Amino acid sequence: MDWGRAPQRVDAILSTRRLNRLLAHAHGDLTATIEAGATLAEVNATLARRGQCLPLDPPFADRATIGGILATNDSGPLRHRFGTPRDLVIGVQLATTDGTLAKAGGQVVKNVAGYDLSKLVCGSFGSLAAIVSATFKLTPLPRASKTIVVEAPDVETLGQIVRDVMSSQLEPIAFDIHVSDVARLLLRFASLPNVVDAQIEQTLALAALKGLGAPKRQGRDGGCATAVTEDDAERAVWEERSRRMWDSPGAIVRASWMPADLPAALKGATRVTELAGRAAVGAGLIRIDGDVRTQAAAVEQLRHSTSFRHVVIVRGSDELKSIVDVWGPLGDRERLFASLKHALDPNGILNAGRGPL
Amino acid sequence: MDPAFLNQLQRIVGAGGVLHDPLDVLTYECDGLPHLRMSPAAVVLPASAAEVHDVVRLCARARVPFVPRGHGTGLSGGALPVAGGVLIALSRLNRVLEVDIPNQRVTVEPGVTNLEITRQVAPFGYYYAPDPSSQQVCSIGGNVAENSGGAHCLKYGFTTHHVIGVDAVMPDGELVRIDGALTDAPGPDLLGLIVGSEGTLAIVTSITVRILRRPETVQTLLAAFDTIDAGGAAVSEIIGAGIIPAAVEMMDALAIRAAEAAVHPGFPETDTVLIVELDGPAAEVEALFEIVKDICRRCKATSIEVAADEAQRMRIWRGRKAAFAAMGRVSPNYYVQDGVVPRTKLPEVLNRIRDLERRSGLPIGNVFHAGDGNLHPLICYDERIPGQSDKAVEVAAEILSYCIDAGGSLTGEHGIGADKNTYMPQMFSAADLALMQRVRNALDPLGLCNPGKIFPTPRLCGEVPGPYRAHPVEKAGLAERM
Repeated sequence: MDWGRAPQRVDAILSTRRLNRLLAHAHGDLTATIEAGATLAEVNATLARRGQCLPLDPPFADRATIGGILATNDSGPLRHRFGTPRDLVIGVQLATTDGTLAKAGGQVVKNVAGYDLSKLVCGSFGSLAAIVSATFKLTPLPRASKTIVVEAPDVETLGQIVRDVMSSQLEPIAFDIHVSDVARLLLRFASLPNVVDAQIEQTLALAALKGLGAPKRQGRDGGCATAVTEDDAERAVWEERSRRMWDSPGAIVRASWMPADLPAALKGATRVTELAGRAAVGAGLIRIDGDVRTQAAAVEQLRHSTSFRHVVIVRGSDELKSIVDVWGPLGDRERLFASLKHALDPNGILNAGRGPL
Repeated sequence: MDPAFLNQLQRIVGAGGVLHDPLDVLTYECDGLPHLRMSPAAVVLPASAAEVHDVVRLCARARVPFVPRGHGTGLSGGALPVAGGVLIALSRLNRVLEVDIPNQRVTVEPGVTNLEITRQVAPFGYYYAPDPSSQQVCSIGGNVAENSGGAHCLKYGFTTHHVIGVDAVMPDGELVRIDGALTDAPGPDLLGLIVGSEGTLAIVTSITVRILRRPETVQTLLAAFDTIDAGGAAVSEIIGAGIIPAAVEMMDALAIRAAEAAVHPGFPETDTVLIVELDGPAAEVEALFEIVKDICRRCKATSIEVAADEAQRMRIWRGRKAAFAAMGRVSPNYYVQDGVVPRTKLPEVLNRIRDLERRSGLPIGNVFHAGDGNLHPLICYDERIPGQSDKAVEVAAEILSYCIDAGGSLTGEHGIGADKNTYMPQMFSAADLALMQRVRNALDPLGLCNPGKIFPTPRLCGEVPGPYRAHPVEKAGLAERM
């Protein structure tokens, strides 16, 4: 409920908590149909029994529901390989404000029949229709996985490593940067065991990584510049990275940028406390510490910077939201959103006033 | 057409940019689905986004319906003109606007061909992933309209997974910039709605796509099987082993024979061939390729040919990609459909198609993307034999009903267009279609933008559904089809 502007009025809350079943897992077809209220963690625990998963990892998988993840189009480090929910959803069932149940898409991974409304509701924040259930394409669980954590001495070096990895033929499953007082880069490889090792070796041989110190296996301690983790230690690294920002104080915004321009972008974003995101996509979260005026100024600075594209507040006090708009400029899309909202929710009863439409 | 209106069109695009003589517009009366034809009142050839904008605005004001067209290679009649309407041909918008290698994206106008994007970035070691078989000639604008796929979309996704943003002229003539989920644009995924809307919601005038680094290694094999079931079992086992190949394609005996006759790819004389391509890091491809070969052997492959070099790989793909056109070598006419079934239902549905082939007496070649269950049945007929054309249409409809029965779709990549809109109620309820129609009305309240596509409507007056029939000017010897 932190998302969006404050609602104009709330008469009823429609909870999907009891819509929590996995309706079908066609493991031979690598698809699953899931009700909106099921949590991602529950779903993936069940899919894992057949060696498959829904490759999404937004924060708080134990609480995040399938419907919520779709409505916010939220994602995590796996976005590097698998995209956001809109890239994985292949069908949806919706409850519309005129009281009908309607579907779009289907049960098959390849399908161009009719309008792809399953994508349209991604990012709609519940303002067009209520998501009842959705069908996704799945992926097999990898046999082995390892993550390299690199600490770069400065953001220029970090930027150079990002460009080197992007122009290499390495195929990481996740490729994250985390910049606060330390500039870190995390690369996760998942495949057959020997393939993972070969990719790790190739990464360590990248020119920009040389001279940062010798790799140290299994965990990291202090001054080591690169470290390779696997199993529980690897999971702990990613878990810590996923929670870290949310466990710290301050406002959080979702932002996107041109991946090759990151060092320059960071130089201009002087009020940013912490940035964590997908290095090659150029998207992630930014945390801004300080009092509400500082936060507001930081949001404005990011929005005015030519290096950052979209800057949306995802956690902020009511006071912050009263000073700067949550969503920022919607550009040409605003008028189109208004037409769609009017067509699907003419009385404006869904998430009234919270935006983005 | 009203001369004043034609005059205004000419003022926007110049006299050379408007065609309205019946013989001049002949080229534009159908797309890659030649059996549906309609003469547009005028064809306009704008050369810039601003001209597209002005043309659409003029049409909207005059309430004249308009149809966008790329290079006219679509297979579902998506660019079929509308009677009394304007056909907006985008072939002059063919500039590459920006190549940004560090940020891995390219911006082009809609008339640029799919393959041209790869040509632009290949020297830097990159490529554009969606690869419809027509990629040498099809336009990227058409790909956006149809959400085109291709053999490699099993691993890499469709057009919708690769478009970062577009500039588009909306049906009321407004020029808008729409970026999408790839850049975390807040709000509903409008771009995801527009890509694949078959030109009914917007006309894109520039497109930014992401490009991918060429994989380190590509390996391709061709395996022969005595039965389609054995080939299908191999596909299921490969996917079951947790392997997502770059492509998995199957062809049956008739399609193999046709391909051999046309481009001589050296395919074995057998019931079924399977093409499996793996790409990625060398160590991964090498290890997984061995597993794939084992699976093919276990599933009783009668031969396995591994492409030793790029030339051999290209030869295998030439055989596959030429399969449609090659049907002309074995049959005077053919009609291709595009239904999808869940991959696990492939053997069941293919056996139903073979039964239908026996019952109908029309040979049916099968070429398909086995990895994602996308069928391409090629129904052979001879239009000179009375009744065969209609029979072919009936057979195609029956195959699509098998796909729906199996939980699949009417179309995997060709689009609904004007070809399959009457079948939509088989797949979607009245409520489903009504919701889609509301979305359409929201963006095109006047219903002027590519009307008569996707949604079920009664056939146009005088329009005869079914296979190609010679146009009166052809019959009169005034023109011939190349």
